[in-house]
Amino acid sequence: MSSDPKKILVVDDEESIHLLYREELEDEGYQVISAMNGEDALKLFESEQPDLVILDINMPGMDGIEVLRQMKQLKPNVPVILSSAYPEYKQDLASWASDDYIVKSFNLDELKASVKRHLQGG
Amino acid sequence: MPELRRDPIIGRWVIIAKERGKRPYDFIIEKEKTKGGFCPLCPGNEKTTPPEVLAYGRSYHDPNGPGWKLRVVPNKYPALVIEGELDKRGEGIYDKMNGIGAHEVIIETPKHSDTISSMPLEQLQLVFLAYKDRIIDLARDKRFKYIIVFKNFGKAAGASLEHSHSQLIALPIVPQLIQEELDGCLKYFEYKERCVFCDIIRQERQQNLRVVCENEEFITICPFAPRSPFEMWVLPKRHQSRFVSLDDSQAEGLTSLFSLTMRKLDAVLPKVPYNFMLHTAPLTDFGLEHFHWHIEIMPKVNTVAGFEWGTGFHINTTPPEESARILRDSSPN
Repeated sequence: MSSDPKKILVVDDEESIHLLYREELEDEGYQVISAMNGEDALKLFESEQPDLVILDINMPGMDGIEVLRQMKQLKPNVPVILSSAYPEYKQDLASWASDDYIVKSFNLDELKASVKRHLQGG
Repeated sequence: MPELRRDPIIGRWVIIAKERGKRPYDFIIEKEKTKGGFCPLCPGNEKTTPPEVLAYGRSYHDPNGPGWKLRVVPNKYPALVIEGELDKRGEGIYDKMNGIGAHEVIIETPKHSDTISSMPLEQLQLVFLAYKDRIIDLARDKRFKYIIVFKNFGKAAGASLEHSHSQLIALPIVPQLIQEELDGCLKYFEYKERCVFCDIIRQERQQNLRVVCENEEFITICPFAPRSPFEMWVLPKRHQSRFVSLDDSQAEGLTSLFSLTMRKLDAVLPKVPYNFMLHTAPLTDFGLEHFHWHIEIMPKVNTVAGFEWGTGFHINTTPPEESARILRDSSPN
């Protein structure tokens, strides 16, 4: 890993998810920043210039799908991985704006593989 | 007094709650905010979709670039996967197989704000042509027994993305609802030696109680035992079991009548969420005398809850004669 770690924005309304993702992703050498809701996520997306976003869907206020559409409108080349406990949002074609859709699990192997793949440009 | 009505094809009963007699303004249709932001289906964003399997209208060779009038792409997050074997197997009394199928999305127009009821007729005709072309292509895959084409419009009907699209799923089995319809049609045919849908068309035209509109080739009716207020069926007047048998003159007739039907619905219940589903014969059944392809349109104005799930009954608060009269008398743009 280079001395300039890639920055990942994790957006989720559950504190336990932030703790888990932060620990696992920092172990992989990434810098992690957090937002608990969509509105804060959009502010951080612009001010912190993350290299990748991990985005929950079902959140109070602005939902993840709406956040995704705003983020892709602003910066279409920043990869956004949807991370939801509910696979049914895959049927919502608005989710197609994302670069990947991972169903939440306490085993983060799939998520970490996706992060790695997208930060390496495919 | 409420009335129980039986569907003549599958025998499903519905309750027509006549005394409630809901009129269009009684239905509360939640206004959906037009969402801004990135649209993965708009021209210029082709790389956010899987590579297309069909496109119409490009005047130059640039697959997966802009310039198209209609695109069909595999679903990015499909319900079933195309690659693999079915591996049919049992687990005691239970049957299962691998989730093999094709799940495709028909991007009906390059214009983000077009709808089925607002798009030009030549664009809508491309949509029906795409359904036909994709069914013909996928039918070559012997793993598939049935292809269902459907559209969800509006969030309450399952589509939060405004850009007009429909979907197609090729299945390794004939779905239960379709099989029930096929069985009901066959039973009727064995008894009367006539197609039940042809008889329905004949009677509806004679009675003129539930006809919404018609032209030379097609007719739109509110069925006798509808599950929902303003439910409509669009049927070819000539007997045909397979949608892919649609010829050029019929395609024009279907396009103009379907457009009129949807514009009437929009005039009566503006921007109402709806689903429509194409019912056609299974892929391996050719020229069935007892089955008749058709499109069922279901506006999303009532709630399916415990009673409906528990009994298969639906409670309909607008008699189809009233729905048809209102739709018939409407003046769409």
